[in-house]
Amino acid sequence: MDITQSTHENSDSAGVTATAFGLSYAVACLFNAVVVILKETIPAVHDGMAALAGHHWVAHGLLDLIVFVVLGFVFARTSLAHMSAKALITNVVGATVLGGLIIVGFFTLA
Amino acid sequence: MSKEMLLMLHPTFGILAMIAAIWVFVDTLNVSDANVGRIRSMGVLCAVLMWLTYIVGGYWYVVNYGVDKAIIKAGPWGFSHSFFMETKEHLFFLVLMLATLLVIAVQSNLARLSGARNLVLWVSGLVVLSALAMEGAGAFISMGVKVALLAKTL
Repeated sequence: MDITQSTHENSDSAGVTATAFGLSYAVACLFNAVVVILKETIPAVHDGMAALAGHHWVAHGLLDLIVFVVLGFVFARTSLAHMSAKALITNVVGATVLGGLIIVGFFTLA
Repeated sequence: MSKEMLLMLHPTFGILAMIAAIWVFVDTLNVSDANVGRIRSMGVLCAVLMWLTYIVGGYWYVVNYGVDKAIIKAGPWGFSHSFFMETKEHLFFLVLMLATLLVIAVQSNLARLSGARNLVLWVSGLVVLSALAMEGAGAFISMGVKVALLAKTL
């Protein structure tokens, strides 16, 4: 069953649902990197996350997944879900590289 | 099951997830009505295996890693924790979300939508590359424990 198929799709589309969750993934990537910097540099953030879920890493993962899932459903209701696959892939790959480099860079300098 | 065996499941599930992602990549290069169902099944399998990798590794990290961390930090390869483990534990969230995105991406009409095919190729490729990086980082962490224990006994 094609859950992403709609009458608006052309061959350059990745599908509405895939586009929406691809974008939410890109945002979650950058969110993940920002949370790393915040919790590693501000003890109150680290401790708050640990108190939230018993361990800061568990809370971090939950926050990332919430951003990914919630924004995916939000984006699916907007015109952003109809962007071209080329633009989507640029966002997905760019966010992966940038989010990864921020984390690698932070722990290299830390 | 011993906790050491539990730890071994972590890279095992990770490698199997990576193989499933490679399968998706190659099958998508040759997509047709005949293999769309298989691509979707392998995409789901990749995500299930990656989630198992996360759950098993996460359990180990939260419950048992503290001992290894103390050993590593007391040894000559402290960077295997301060860089490799710290980086790995945070980059893994990206791999997990990528594998989940793959499940969604393979549900599109891959035989008709070239954009959907390209997205699946990029996402599965990123899963493979990032999973390889995770496996490599895991090797450094294991070696960090080993050289610390060797330094202690020699």
